[in-house]
Amino acid sequence: MIGQILNMGRRGCEVLEALGRAGLFLVQSAVGWPSREGWYLWLRQMHFVGVLSLAIVLVSGLFIGMVLALQGYTILVDFGAEQALGQMVALSLLRELSPVVAALLFAGRAGSALTAEIGLMKATEQLTSMEMIGVDPLRRVVAPRLWAGFVALPLLTIGFSVVGVYGGYLVGVEWLGVFEGSYWGNMQSSVDFIGDIGNGMVKSIVFALVVTWIAVFQGYDLVPTSEGISRATTRTVVYSSLAVLGLDFVLTALMFGGLS
Amino acid sequence: MFDNFFDGRWMMTDSPFVVVEGLHFSRGDKDIFRGVDMRIPRGKITAIMGPSGTGKTTLLKLIGGQLAPDAGHVRIDGADVHALSRKALFALRRRMGMLFQSGALFSDLSVYENVAFPLQVHTDLPEAMIRDVTLMKLQAVGLRGARDLSPAELSGGMSRRVALARAIALDPELILYDEPFVGQDPISKGVLVQLIRKLNEALGLTSIVVSHDIEETLSIADYVYVIADGQVMAHGTPQTLDVDDDPRVSQFVHGEPDGPVPFHYPATDFFRDILDTERR
Repeated sequence: MIGQILNMGRRGCEVLEALGRAGLFLVQSAVGWPSREGWYLWLRQMHFVGVLSLAIVLVSGLFIGMVLALQGYTILVDFGAEQALGQMVALSLLRELSPVVAALLFAGRAGSALTAEIGLMKATEQLTSMEMIGVDPLRRVVAPRLWAGFVALPLLTIGFSVVGVYGGYLVGVEWLGVFEGSYWGNMQSSVDFIGDIGNGMVKSIVFALVVTWIAVFQGYDLVPTSEGISRATTRTVVYSSLAVLGLDFVLTALMFGGLS
Repeated sequence: MFDNFFDGRWMMTDSPFVVVEGLHFSRGDKDIFRGVDMRIPRGKITAIMGPSGTGKTTLLKLIGGQLAPDAGHVRIDGADVHALSRKALFALRRRMGMLFQSGALFSDLSVYENVAFPLQVHTDLPEAMIRDVTLMKLQAVGLRGARDLSPAELSGGMSRRVALARAIALDPELILYDEPFVGQDPISKGVLVQLIRKLNEALGLTSIVVSHDIEETLSIADYVYVIADGQVMAHGTPQTLDVDDDPRVSQFVHGEPDGPVPFHYPATDFFRDILDTERR
């Protein structure tokens, strides 16, 4: 019994210590103005993290929009309300699905790659040798990746929404025959820029911070063996998915739950 | 930066370049060092030897300031490494080079870019001059022709030589070699021995070689420290160590399989273990 309590306390201390390390890590690497070379390194990471995730995010967006329209239509048509299809597709995407699904895809596509890359650099002593050359790996390796993730995910989310709305249009209007004017018109009159688009983007920015932070920290903090890298990569995907879904609930409650 | 550089090279004062005092370090419950004292002379090659697992690489990391000791000091040219701010520590590290066991080349850069990297980040030299210096360093290790290869295309010996070129790119005053001979064929071993000797003479730098390859290390070292069980077991010139009659030193220096360091990991009696079928 005493042993169990002791164990629990020790685990608690370990968790707190890891959180402290992660916080310090974030501050040391993300705060500060980049040098001219820093911009170049950031652009390169934008390519790896953002541009290369574009395909999977856009294709998923298209299908999600199409499925939303199909599902929504079959329900709305029972009430003769299929004119509201555009409104339904746009609000579901902007408020909920785009930020969440894009973040989950981003964690799987870019987050795991970041963890594995930094982890392998650590395992092959590249980070240590950089330190010995007198270059801080937090500034040179970690910071560009963090900032690339922070910026890339919100942009990807915008792309997801745009393509998703178009996917809904393809299915709803072109295939199922909803009147085109009411698809766009209802959407235009019901979507609020601050309330819907703005809140969705706030969600996306929060998810970007959390997912990138988890991915990069897991890579930097892992045990430098092949087993350690595989574990850390798994942890990145699991932790970021859970964090995204959990935070989504909290943010939704704050934004749309009528609590404020 | 250059004031100290010239001090070290021309004055050749007798004061040691690196001083290790009463160093204690432990990992978890395991004591790695229990009071290590060393004085590394300027401009010489000092070897730190000992059986594997005695923490030789850990010692280099303590000297380089990557790990902090539980007690004791490491002073490099008078500066206490572990009392420095992060910024001052990085400035000090520009005056040292370190050759890692794995080479640790940056895998996303070519051979040329790897060697040019320290110059690009730490100097304001024009690109043409960086190119000249980089090619000179690559020429010194005999790999100027391999400049466009990527690290993945190099053999183990070649990547260690490229790493050596990178370590000397900024003309350091101190260079740390971590097991430079491990896993090398006889030819590359010979090349590395010759390079370490030559670089030390030509650049007048202070070298610390951590190794357990007796023959190669004793052939180039001016002074040797043997560490075991977390302490300095013996130190002296290669000649004095060769005739040292301490059984622990002589077992290590002459490579005898059994002696004070037993061949067997501690275990229960062999026959009882074999006959003890109940525990299975």
